[in-house]
Amino acid sequence: MIQAPGRAESMIQVQEISKTFSDPKRGTRTAVDRVSFEVKAGEVFGLLGPNGAGKTTTLRLIATLLRTTGGTAIVSGFDVNKQPEKVREQVGFLSGDMGLYGRLTPREILDFFGKLNGMDANARAKRMNELFTLFEMQSFADVRTDKLSTGMKQKTAIARTMLHNPPVLILDEPSSGLDVPTARTIERVIMDNKHAGKCILYSTHVMEEAEYLCDRIGVISDGHMKMIGTMDELRAATGKRRLREIFLDLLGLPADE
Amino acid sequence: MRLPIIQAIYLKEMLDLLRDRRTLISMLVVPVVVLPLVFNIAIRVTSRMQQNAEQEAKTMPVAVHVTTPAIRQAIEKAGFRMTERDDFKDAIDKKEIAAGVEETASAPPVLNVYVDSSEPASAAAGDAIRVALNDLRDQTIRGSLRNSGIPESVLTPFVVKRNNVAGERKMAGALWGTMLPYLMLLLMFAGGMYPIIDMTAGEKERKTMEAFLASPAKRSEIVLGKTLAGMTAIFLTAALTLASMVYSITNNRVSTRSEEIKQMMSGIPLDAHTIGLIATLLLPMAVFAASLMFAVALFARSYKEGQSYLTPLMLLVIFPAFMGGMPGFHLMPLLCLIPIFNTSMMIRGVLLGDATTLNFAVTLAADLVYAAIAFALAARMFNRESVLFRS
Repeated sequence: MIQAPGRAESMIQVQEISKTFSDPKRGTRTAVDRVSFEVKAGEVFGLLGPNGAGKTTTLRLIATLLRTTGGTAIVSGFDVNKQPEKVREQVGFLSGDMGLYGRLTPREILDFFGKLNGMDANARAKRMNELFTLFEMQSFADVRTDKLSTGMKQKTAIARTMLHNPPVLILDEPSSGLDVPTARTIERVIMDNKHAGKCILYSTHVMEEAEYLCDRIGVISDGHMKMIGTMDELRAATGKRRLREIFLDLLGLPADE
Repeated sequence: MRLPIIQAIYLKEMLDLLRDRRTLISMLVVPVVVLPLVFNIAIRVTSRMQQNAEQEAKTMPVAVHVTTPAIRQAIEKAGFRMTERDDFKDAIDKKEIAAGVEETASAPPVLNVYVDSSEPASAAAGDAIRVALNDLRDQTIRGSLRNSGIPESVLTPFVVKRNNVAGERKMAGALWGTMLPYLMLLLMFAGGMYPIIDMTAGEKERKTMEAFLASPAKRSEIVLGKTLAGMTAIFLTAALTLASMVYSITNNRVSTRSEEIKQMMSGIPLDAHTIGLIATLLLPMAVFAASLMFAVALFARSYKEGQSYLTPLMLLVIFPAFMGGMPGFHLMPLLCLIPIFNTSMMIRGVLLGDATTLNFAVTLAADLVYAAIAFALAARMFNRESVLFRS
């Protein structure tokens, strides 16, 4: 496995993390098996894998939504198993389902999450205005979320993730189901955050997006990390050029004709 | 636990609930609009049916097989036309007559009044005929006594007078003590059901839980904020429903018994002391109800599933709440340990004015323990991944 040593500060250190689920009907199932990787400040790390590979479970473990059954992860110096609340203060987490309150407006949602993050009224108002401008949300900031388009909802969800200006962003398929202009806005925001020194861990199915955005990529399959590296390192290791080909090669699937 | 975080969660839940059509209907529209409307319609319909039955009874003739002229006159005086029919039952069934009166020659003569009690008009005719014939019998007795030179006072050699030593308060308490605790407890669970399902299974179904759990709020703060919102919904529904019921009953001008009902309502002991004691009893019960429903509903994956989990719980509440308000149970510390039953029984005791400090303290202490256990259960469920991420 290729690991990229670097000088920048390591914001996420995933150490032999495992997660086993027990289900009376389905028995015991290991979703994530001794996965390790690091993400540094100012780095975009892409987690790629087919459906059911363990991407979302890995992200949930790092965001402390789930407890590990083996290993641990250190986020901004805090252990996910010992200081989950401290970890959550450092992380902005975007779930794959967006998770917006349909009966509330984007402004109300952001204000609520600002309070949960301990921001005072002035700080919340200032930050909300910044984000509304950044994502061009002014026109729908006071409209109930269940009346918004998918793109508007995703902008709201990402604004909520960035609200408290966390040093670590964990984004689960942020561009899923979006049109090209909105997906481009999300990509731009990810790059801006990278340049601002944030640590960004995100999962995606869009190979072109990962190729363009990620400094390093980890390919996960059946709960195991198959390979980690920069695009050049992955090319060198697999002998393939495009990320799509590399991905299929690592999964042991035949390349396209 | 951090108060500003709990407050933020509570306010968000309340805002979310008040914008939910289902919750609004169960919490506000049903008690404030539907209940008084249904009550008034029911009273109006019942009253109208009674009036119609009385009027209809007078439009139909009464068949008589009577030879004594005074009896025929009494029936006529009561407003009935008389006719001849052989088969009373057939004629009443066909609605040709309202009732039948038959005099049998015996000593003394027997007057059989035939009615169909399942038909309001026939029953009303029967009542009116019976009153008329009883009056005639009384007049006949008094007339006979007068003619024989015997004073009427022989009819009443002594008077039996029943004196109720129970004060007004106790009487009102006995009446309301049976109904109010049952109603209050039932409303508390019913009122909290939809909001709590919305905050738990509903949130899971809408997939908003994950982002919430990823925030720095502690699990216990989330549970407390949500439980407090559930309690508010519980109190709001219970208070609005009761206020609406009292208003509907006291302001009902249609019922012929309205004055009687008004007098009964005015007997509810609503002094500050009584209200304070009942509120003290209901507070831990609201925590218990909200936490218990929270723990159960959280297990559900969808709103619909939450409803099917909580409906049997309602049935479990009805029985002890009803039994606790029934007369016959003597307040004793051991009974004060049975959840829901104890609160129902103690509310009755407070209304009757016979609750002792010991029993009150035991009930309150037991309910506080049950509330704490239920809250701990809710918090524990909220910490279980298998419950939160159940799919």
